[in-house]
Amino acid sequence: MVEFWRWKEYRWTAPDADWKNAGIISCGIDVGSVSSQAVIMTDGNLYAYSNMRTGSNSPDSARRALDWALEGTGLKQENMHFIVGTGYGRINIPFANKAITEIACHARGANFMYGPTVRTVLDMGGQDCKAIRCDEKGKVTAFLMNDKCAAGTGRGMEVFADLLQVHIEEVGDLSFKVDKEPPPVSSTCVVFAKSEASALLRKGVPKNEVLAAYCSAMAHRIFSLLERLGVEKDFGITGGISKNRGVVDRLTKELGITSLTPRYDPQVAGGVGAALFAKSLVEKQRAGQVAR
Amino acid sequence: MLEMYKEWFDARHEYAKEWKEKSGGKVMGYFCTYAPEEIMYAAGILPVRILGSHEPQDVTEPHIFAMFCPFCRDCLAQGLKGRYDYLDGIMISQSCLHIRQAFTSWKMHIPTQYSYYLPMPMKVQSPRALPYLRAELENFKKSLEEWTGNKITDDDLRNGIELMNENRRLMHQVYEMRKKDNPPITGLDSMYMVVSSQMTHKQEHSRITRDVINELGKKENGRKTGERLMIIGSEDDDSKFIQMCESVGATFVIDDHCTGSRYFWNEVEPNGDPLTAIAKRYIERPPCPSKDWEERRRIPHILQLAADWKVKGAVLIQQKFCDPHELDTPAIRKALEGKGIKTLFLELDVTVPIGQFRTRVEALLEMLQEEDLF
Repeated sequence: MVEFWRWKEYRWTAPDADWKNAGIISCGIDVGSVSSQAVIMTDGNLYAYSNMRTGSNSPDSARRALDWALEGTGLKQENMHFIVGTGYGRINIPFANKAITEIACHARGANFMYGPTVRTVLDMGGQDCKAIRCDEKGKVTAFLMNDKCAAGTGRGMEVFADLLQVHIEEVGDLSFKVDKEPPPVSSTCVVFAKSEASALLRKGVPKNEVLAAYCSAMAHRIFSLLERLGVEKDFGITGGISKNRGVVDRLTKELGITSLTPRYDPQVAGGVGAALFAKSLVEKQRAGQVAR
Repeated sequence: MLEMYKEWFDARHEYAKEWKEKSGGKVMGYFCTYAPEEIMYAAGILPVRILGSHEPQDVTEPHIFAMFCPFCRDCLAQGLKGRYDYLDGIMISQSCLHIRQAFTSWKMHIPTQYSYYLPMPMKVQSPRALPYLRAELENFKKSLEEWTGNKITDDDLRNGIELMNENRRLMHQVYEMRKKDNPPITGLDSMYMVVSSQMTHKQEHSRITRDVINELGKKENGRKTGERLMIIGSEDDDSKFIQMCESVGATFVIDDHCTGSRYFWNEVEPNGDPLTAIAKRYIERPPCPSKDWEERRRIPHILQLAADWKVKGAVLIQQKFCDPHELDTPAIRKALEGKGIKTLFLELDVTVPIGQFRTRVEALLEMLQEEDLF
C-alpha cells in the first residue's frame, strides 16, 4: 500500500568541508512530534544534518537522527563539544548537555537562515504552529502558539495527503492546478476539515480543488495567529510546512508580504538554532576557563 | 508546618466532615469569594469554598453549556459525584453567569437542605452599591437566622469579622515575606495556604499560619528562586501547573487570583455598623473583572503588586471561555509590557496540557534570561 503521507527522510553533508580543522563542533537535535533533525555545525557553519520521522520514543529518535547525521563523516558523538536538545522531546534526550525550547531555537535558526533582518518567524511544525518575533540577534521578543489542535500543522497535512491519495510533497503544486480558488474548508479542526473534504469528494469536486480548499484553510488559520502577534518585516518561515507552497503562497498573499528565501533547508532551522546555542555555550565555557 | 496546608487541600472533604462531627455545626458550600464569610462564621456555620478536582468528568454535559468555563463545570461535577454530600447548605454571591449556572444546577439536581442566592451588585463602583449590598447582607443574615434558629447579634458579627481579619492579616504577612530576594515560600505553597484557608475553620488555619510565619522567618529554604513571576487570572488551584512552572527555573512571588491575593487582600474596617463594614469590604476589595467597570481598577493594583514584589515576568492564565478575564487580558498585558514585564497568556481547561505549557513557560523564562545564550 502506498503511504502518501510519508515524506522522504534525508541527510546532507557540506561538500568540501572538513571538521578536523574546526575549533568548535556543536550539535543541535530537534525531536519534534512528527520529525526529528540532528544538525552538526563546525565553528558556526552548517556541516551535516539529517531529517527523519520521530518514533514513539524520544531518546531513540534523537539517537537515530544523530547517528545518521554523523554517518560517513568520520565524526563520532564524542567529537561534539556540546549538544543542545530542542523540540517536544527535548527533555528526553539523555546525551544532550542542555535543553532549550524550540521557540528560542527556531528564532535563532531563522536568524542564521534568513539573516539578521528577520523579525517575524513562523514555524509550521508537525503538531503545532508558532509565530515568533525576534531581534537582530535572533533573540525571542514575543511568541504565540496554536492551541491543542492539529489544524494548521504538518500532521493535518499528512492526514489530507492520505485521504486524497496524493504524495505529500506534491500537495502544494497540485493545489494550484485548479480553475478557480475554492472556498476553504473548516479551519478549526482537522477532523471536521476531513469530513468536509470527504463530502466535497463525494459531490464530485476535483481532488486538486479539495487540496486547495484545505491549503487555504490552513493559510487562514495561520494568518489569524500571525495577526494576533503582529507581523513585522522581514518575514521568514521554518518547519516542514514551509516547503508546501500551497500553504505558503496563499498565506503570504493574505499577509501582503513575501517571505524571505532561506539559505538552507528551513526544516532544520530548530536544529540549527540549537547547534548555535551549543556553540555559544562552548565559547562561554572556554572564556570562563581562561578567566579562571 | 507548611505541609499542613497541602494536607488540608488534599483532604478537604474529610476535614469538613470531621469538623461537622466534632462541632455538630452546619457546613455551607459557597461558590465565589464574594461570599460574606463573616456572617456565616457569626452564625456558627463553617463556610467552605466549592472547587473543582481537575479530573476529566462526564457528568455535567446535560446541565451546563460546553462554552461555559471549565471551572464551573468542574465544580458542579463534584456535587453530581456526591463529593460534597456533607454540605448542609450552598450559597453564591453573584459574580458571573457561568458559576451561577453551577449553583442553580446544583440546587436543582443535588438535594441540599438550604440554598441562598445573594445578589452582590455588579457595579461596585456605583455609590449605590454600598447601601444595596448592606441591605442584601441583612436579608442573608435573617435567612441564616431562620435556618439555624439562632439570632445573630452584632457581637457575633464582630467576632466573625475579627476571625476573618486575623486570618487575612496573617496571610498578608506570609505574602510580605515573598518580597525577599529569596522568598522562603514557593508560589505552590502559598496557593495551598490560601486555598486551604477557604476549606478550613479560620481559627485553626490562623493558628497554623502563625507557626508557619515563625518557621519561615527562621530558615533558608535552600531553593534557587530563578525568575520572579506573577500569576494573574481567575482561580488557579491547579497544583500540577504551578509546580511545573516552579520546577523549570522560576518562582511565583505574587498573584492576582481569587485562589490567592484577591481572596484576602483587604480587611473589614470594624467601625460602626458591622453589616455596613462588611459590605464596604466586599465593595472595595481587589475586584473580579466581572465587577471592574467602568474604570479598570485592577490594572493599577496589578502594576503595584508587580513593582512591590519585583516581578520580571507574568503568566496570565484564564479559564477557557471566561469572557470577563479575557476582556481584561489585552489591557493588562499592555500595562505590564509597558513596565518592561514580559507576559505569557495561557488558557486553562479542566486538565492542562502540561507538555505544551511547559514549552511556553520555558520560552518565557528564556526570554527573561536569554542574554546568557548569545
